[in-house]
Amino acid sequence: MLQIKNLTKVYPDGTVALKNVSFEVPEGEFLIVIGLSGSGKSTLLRCINRLIDPTEGQILWNGVDLSKLEGEELRKARRKIGMIFQNFNLIKRSSVFSNIMSGRLGYTQTLPSMLGRFTKEDIDMGKNVVERLGITDQMHKRADELSGGQQQRVGIARALMQEPELILADEPVASLDPVLAHSILKTLETLNHEDGLTVICSLHYLDLVQRYGSSVVGLREGEVVYRGSREDVRKMTDEQFKEIYGAEAERVGASIEGVVQE
Amino acid sequence: MQSRRVISKPQKESLVSPIIAAIASALIPGLGQILARVVNRGLIILASFITSAGLLIWRIATEGARYTGWKTIISKAYKLNPFLYLITILMIVTYIYAIVDAYLTARPGAKKSKAVGMIFMIILVFFAQGWEIGQIDLGALVRDADEAVPALTKVMWPWAKAISHPEEFRTSYVEVQTPCTDVAFPSGEPKTDEPYLIADPTCGVPSEVEVSLGTEFHVIGRNFVPGNEVEIWWKDSANREFHHRVDGDYLIVTPDKNGSFDISVIMPYRTLTPAAEEGVKTWQIQARQLISVGGAVASDELKLAVEKMIETIFIGMMATFFGILLAVPVSFIAARNLMSHSPVTMVIYYLVRTILNIIRSIEPLIWAIIAVIVVGLGPFAGILALTLHSLAALAKLYSEAIESIDSGQIEAIQATGANWFQVISFAVIPQIIPPFVSFTIYRWDINIRMSTVIGFVGGGGIGYLLAQWIRILDYRSAGIAVWFIAITVAILDFVSADIREKFV
Repeated sequence: MLQIKNLTKVYPDGTVALKNVSFEVPEGEFLIVIGLSGSGKSTLLRCINRLIDPTEGQILWNGVDLSKLEGEELRKARRKIGMIFQNFNLIKRSSVFSNIMSGRLGYTQTLPSMLGRFTKEDIDMGKNVVERLGITDQMHKRADELSGGQQQRVGIARALMQEPELILADEPVASLDPVLAHSILKTLETLNHEDGLTVICSLHYLDLVQRYGSSVVGLREGEVVYRGSREDVRKMTDEQFKEIYGAEAERVGASIEGVVQE
Repeated sequence: MQSRRVISKPQKESLVSPIIAAIASALIPGLGQILARVVNRGLIILASFITSAGLLIWRIATEGARYTGWKTIISKAYKLNPFLYLITILMIVTYIYAIVDAYLTARPGAKKSKAVGMIFMIILVFFAQGWEIGQIDLGALVRDADEAVPALTKVMWPWAKAISHPEEFRTSYVEVQTPCTDVAFPSGEPKTDEPYLIADPTCGVPSEVEVSLGTEFHVIGRNFVPGNEVEIWWKDSANREFHHRVDGDYLIVTPDKNGSFDISVIMPYRTLTPAAEEGVKTWQIQARQLISVGGAVASDELKLAVEKMIETIFIGMMATFFGILLAVPVSFIAARNLMSHSPVTMVIYYLVRTILNIIRSIEPLIWAIIAVIVVGLGPFAGILALTLHSLAALAKLYSEAIESIDSGQIEAIQATGANWFQVISFAVIPQIIPPFVSFTIYRWDINIRMSTVIGFVGGGGIGYLLAQWIRILDYRSAGIAVWFIAITVAILDFVSADIREKFV
């Protein structure tokens, strides 16, 4: 159970990115955060794993306030939170496998890891993850030689290596075409269903939100303006969606979804 | 009727009549155009006239500097440097052109021309003045070419000087007795393999000042190396050796093709008092011939060039090494993204950047001159100069590499729970290593090239040698140095390009 309580973030330049945000995410949920760019989605996700320090409020995860953690304790908490990014954020010049193994850094001694040494178990685990995500053939390529969809799979693999309980996905499909978007989200859905991982994912296509979300939080100018369950989301009309999004709201396209769903 | 071309601006009406414009331009070139409301053209013409007239006056004053009275100065200047006539004529043509142009431009309804001819004339005037000021003399390229050919040939193919044949004097002698006694003194023995001398007679007396000439000895030499000069020496009873002189010149004989020579020598004065040479003594008549021993060996110049080339490469290497060592820490405080979080660090950033820019804008050769003043001549001065310049150049390039780092990759590694060292080694280093390596090799390349010339101002290395050889007109040795520099730089270019390609 993740509880966000009165979370506020004010940047040094005075921008208020989050205003008194509170919501709960039960275990095993596929929560989708929607909102315009600049509405605070990225800030919210980064506050949870403390890439950004919140100004005020609490982030309670299994009873621990993440917002108060420092140093070793913070790193230990981060290990259990995988994150995937819009721009994949892979180490471009390193090999795919090295990128994937970097997911184990939190579990590895400093010196061996700096020399690129991982335990046998970790390497075996890496191979399994690679196989599971279907990128075995790409394992020894440089990360930047891969296509966008494959790079995001590497990003997911890296997060999986952390043996996470929670996955934060910051616009994971915004750089991808619709077919790949579905493929990546289905992978996340599988992890959510099969492995029981809690997923918090920011998205901005209504049909993707309706198709994958088990619950939705809508942000506008840093404030929660919508909170809905799976059923609410399914019933959501374009008009409601546009209230959160303004006129920019769009659908990826149902026909493509149909093809992928087969 | 309105023009339909929207792009061209409609011609503004001239403020004055064409005649007035022409007269205005005749008084002040360009004024007519300004009055005709083509202001830019007028200003260009005016500025060009002021500049070229100024230059012309300066050149006339320089040419006629030794004379007084401005009329004399002008006439002498033109006489001494007829090129000034050409410039003056060109300027007059341009002047007339400007008047005509003013007239044409000021005509009512005149189309706005591009004034290509005007610009061309102005450029022509400046070109002529540049030619004159630059003392361009294409004739010099060919006129004395035949005199340059021997020197250039030596530079281009200097290898005759790269090897040398060691030589040494081989001394053969025959002993003579002074004075003669009743017992006959034996003359030299003929030998089969070595050179030998035979004297006739075998005894005699030395010359005495103002009294008598000494005994004349007839000396034959055999088995000498044909064609190699032989010096004739004496060695007296006190083992003093001295050249045999004939009328003040040393006696030098050249053996014939059989290696033989016949000469007559008069026994010279004693160098000791007669009292000191009391009794019967023997003197030697020596024949010394310069002969080569052993095979060809590397010449001293070649060895020196090799040594200095090694020194040069190490000057470049050490400078690069020290440059990297200093530039890496400096680059972090010269990286905007790392220094932008507080006003204090921003001040440091700007300060460091400014200092680096100043250091970089001064050529390594000038730094070398300064370094020579501080630490004296030699490779250390060169290393200092190149280090300083490398520091500034590398710190700038490194800091730019740091500035362009992708923060997303750092975020991603942080998110895995990695600690600071792991973030640096997984997210930062992979990003900055390729540009760092690339810039470093590039700099190494520059440093080696610079170190070959840094010696010209006393900074050690092969340049030092090259400068000296050129000054003493030893073009062969200079050629060896030039060849070494060329070969080293070429190899280095190739190697560095190869390494860089692999990293970037």
